[in-house]
Amino acid sequence: MTRRSFLKNSFWLVLLSIGAYPLYEFVVSKRIHPPKKVRIHKHLLPGQYIGYPKFYLFETQNGPIAVSRRCTHLGCTVNYEPTLKMFICPCHQSRFMWNGKYISGPANGKNLARFQVKVLKNNEGYVVLVPRGA
Amino acid sequence: MDIKKIQWGELATSALIVSIISGLIVAYQYEVSEPFISTVAIDGLLPFGRFFRALHFYSSQFFVAFVFIHTFVEIKKRDISSYPPWRWFTLTMLLPASVFALFTGYVLRYDATGQSAGAIAEHLIAKVPFVGHILDRFMIAIPNEGLNRVYLLHIILTVILWGLGTWYHTKKPIVSKTSFKFTVVLSIATAVVFSAPMDEPGLNVTLIKGPWFFLAVQELLRYIPPIFAGIIYPITPVVILAFLPRFKDQTSIWLFLYMWLISYIVCMLIMWLS
Repeated sequence: MTRRSFLKNSFWLVLLSIGAYPLYEFVVSKRIHPPKKVRIHKHLLPGQYIGYPKFYLFETQNGPIAVSRRCTHLGCTVNYEPTLKMFICPCHQSRFMWNGKYISGPANGKNLARFQVKVLKNNEGYVVLVPRGA
Repeated sequence: MDIKKIQWGELATSALIVSIISGLIVAYQYEVSEPFISTVAIDGLLPFGRFFRALHFYSSQFFVAFVFIHTFVEIKKRDISSYPPWRWFTLTMLLPASVFALFTGYVLRYDATGQSAGAIAEHLIAKVPFVGHILDRFMIAIPNEGLNRVYLLHIILTVILWGLGTWYHTKKPIVSKTSFKFTVVLSIATAVVFSAPMDEPGLNVTLIKGPWFFLAVQELLRYIPPIFAGIIYPITPVVILAFLPRFKDQTSIWLFLYMWLISYIVCMLIMWLS
């Protein structure tokens, strides 16, 4: 490569980098979304549960627990198996207890996430805060 | 009919054209904000919707199959060492691009399989060292952006495949009537007989099988870390193919590629039969 062609290539490379930077910033930036509020107008007794696309809500003696259905291995949606009282990932067979605690499989010790739950006044139901991207 | 005279490249381009036309028709009723509901509506409610979706699905499958056969047949037939390295590299990149275009189609229907496929792809891409996060933001980013970027990629990849596969590769943007007629008849006949796959809503199953070409990776992901099972293993043959003309010992390379293919088929069968 001659000095002239090296300088010419370098010039185009710098120009390309300058041009690519705004594109990178524009595409990679995330718009901020507030968490999604899921209202559940149903009162559950301890031991009862209800399933939603993003989570399962369990009522316990110590209050409600919302367990995320996003598998901690590769993000598949886990399904709840009521007879076994556990979540099973249909993609790679990771297993979790009803409260999200890891049991076995490639999720490798990582428990399912939990979402914040608020109990509505007069036990009329619940509000679950599902973070965007969860 | 002499099988050696079949123009697999022409058939691939024909299948791509059928896929593009049927895809545009399906796009009239597909809503990226309601992917699953709109796909169910296309299949179950709209007149001829099931046929057009099946036509798009099967012509796309034929396209990928023909592209791979074309690559294999031509490599065996021609002296590839005469190809300029950059040109050869670009053309081989069309192979993963065609598979990825097909894959995004599975994600876009957003049934249980589509959702899982999207989530897995996103996690695997994010595991690519250094640039994983950027690639994810450019290509998938489902949790934050819904299916907008997957849809965009589906269209961009199709344009790239057609552009590079015709203008850049053969200098012929259209194909012979015979090839086109054959592909049209084949795709229509298949779409009339078979529907495009779709999971039932609210499915609560303990095992979802991904797209057929992804089954081997799915099986390996149960036992091996994602970076190896989902990235290094599937891209190894692509990288080898991209630099194939530069290898002096072609026999060893082909032996390795065949071994890889056998391992892939075995894993695929294990997953398929489980």
